[in-house]
Amino acid sequence: MPSQITVRIDGVLCTATEGQTIFEVAEANGKVIPSLCHMEGVSPAGSCRLCLVEVAGVDRLLPACTTPAQRGMAVTTTSDRLVRHRRLALELMFVERNHVCAVCVSNGHCELQALAMSLGVTYVRYPYNSPRLPVDVSHPRFVLDHNRCILCSRCVRVCDEIEGAHVWDIGGRGIGSRVVAELDQPWGDSQACTSCGKCVQVCPTGALVEKGYGVEEMTRSNSAVARLAMKKGAAS
Amino acid sequence: MQSAVPQRSQTFDQAFVDTIIAERTGRPGALLGILQKVQEHQPAQYLPTAVLEYIAAKTAIPLSRIYGVVTFYALFSLEPQGRNSVCICRGTACHTRGSRDLLETAMMSLGLAQGQDGEMEALSVTTADGRTTLRTVACFGQCALAPVVEVNHTIFGHMNERSLLKELGALDQGDLLP
Ligand code: SF4
Ligand code: FES
Ligand code: FES
Repeated sequence: MPSQITVRIDGVLCTATEGQTIFEVAEANGKVIPSLCHMEGVSPAGSCRLCLVEVAGVDRLLPACTTPAQRGMAVTTTSDRLVRHRRLALELMFVERNHVCAVCVSNGHCELQALAMSLGVTYVRYPYNSPRLPVDVSHPRFVLDHNRCILCSRCVRVCDEIEGAHVWDIGGRGIGSRVVAELDQPWGDSQACTSCGKCVQVCPTGALVEKGYGVEEMTRSNSAVARLAMKKGAAS
Repeated sequence: MQSAVPQRSQTFDQAFVDTIIAERTGRPGALLGILQKVQEHQPAQYLPTAVLEYIAAKTAIPLSRIYGVVTFYALFSLEPQGRNSVCICRGTACHTRGSRDLLETAMMSLGLAQGQDGEMEALSVTTADGRTTLRTVACFGQCALAPVVEVNHTIFGHMNERSLLKELGALDQGDLLP
């Protein structure tokens, strides 16, 4: 049986089970660490870098979602330095693709937008990349708009780990990375897709959406998928 | 005399692929080795979609994962490759030693059109006759020899336009694919 350890989070002593990540310990103790790629019930990806925290005695910042809590660790979840880094991470996401909230079906229900507002990102300091990216409308019920994707890989992980279909993955590299269905084919042609819609439910932005919604109309239920994941975890 | 243009054939040597898969399944990181061996075995040194689908079916690795690996590593190609490969380093050291001019020289001499975004994206173009594929990399790790050019898997250091043209000229004498 894994042993109990204590760690300090923002000065408060917290009990944790060995093997838990800093993120999980913080969450269990009522601390909110900003995140975009983390999802309860699926493996961590560490791709968004919003959950960076300071650990006493470690120079660099560590992602809370992939760093295991260790006995005696002292973690700081918010500071000027962290806010600076988190804002930078968000700015770079906004710069990289075309996040035009005013014409987005997820406007008002978008995790990227909400985080930007809570961290006070009201403008970006870098020129926009403005790439010309396609919108895949080939699926009968859903749409993938690459312009809004932040490559968090939540869709990839829920499809693989919960639905077991593994339709999605990330193709390419660096700034050329894209979410791809199978061999980068139209979503509607995918043989593996079961049309379950889990990827659509967990996408933090307006990249994966259901057809038939207008601006601001698309809402989702991330927690429903998380509950499924928990059940699956308990069953196996 | 354009007989040897690599065709986008979907054919592959199924028996060979089977042996490679059998040798490697179960080993960690097997996919990389499988893809590499299979690509080497293909006449035009690339991975047609049919072979990717076959590997996916045989190994139960999801297609999208295979596609992700193939497009992540510069080593793999989804397009037929030329018989000769010329690779010009566009890393920082080579850049400061004039590798952009070398790239331009190579493009001109091979009769390849300049891409608009040649600076940003890694380049990989094949001449229309399928004779030569020209590529760029971000650093060979041989910065002391900058500018570095690799021709058919041989590294040439301290290249200048003249020595590059000489190497390219030597290529042209080579026979095309049988
Ligand atoms: S489509 Fe959505 S869930 Fe998938 S990687 Fe992009 S932002 Fe994340
Ligand atoms: S939540 Fe940890 S890196 Fe995204
Ligand atoms: S920059 Fe060319 S070898 Fe390093």
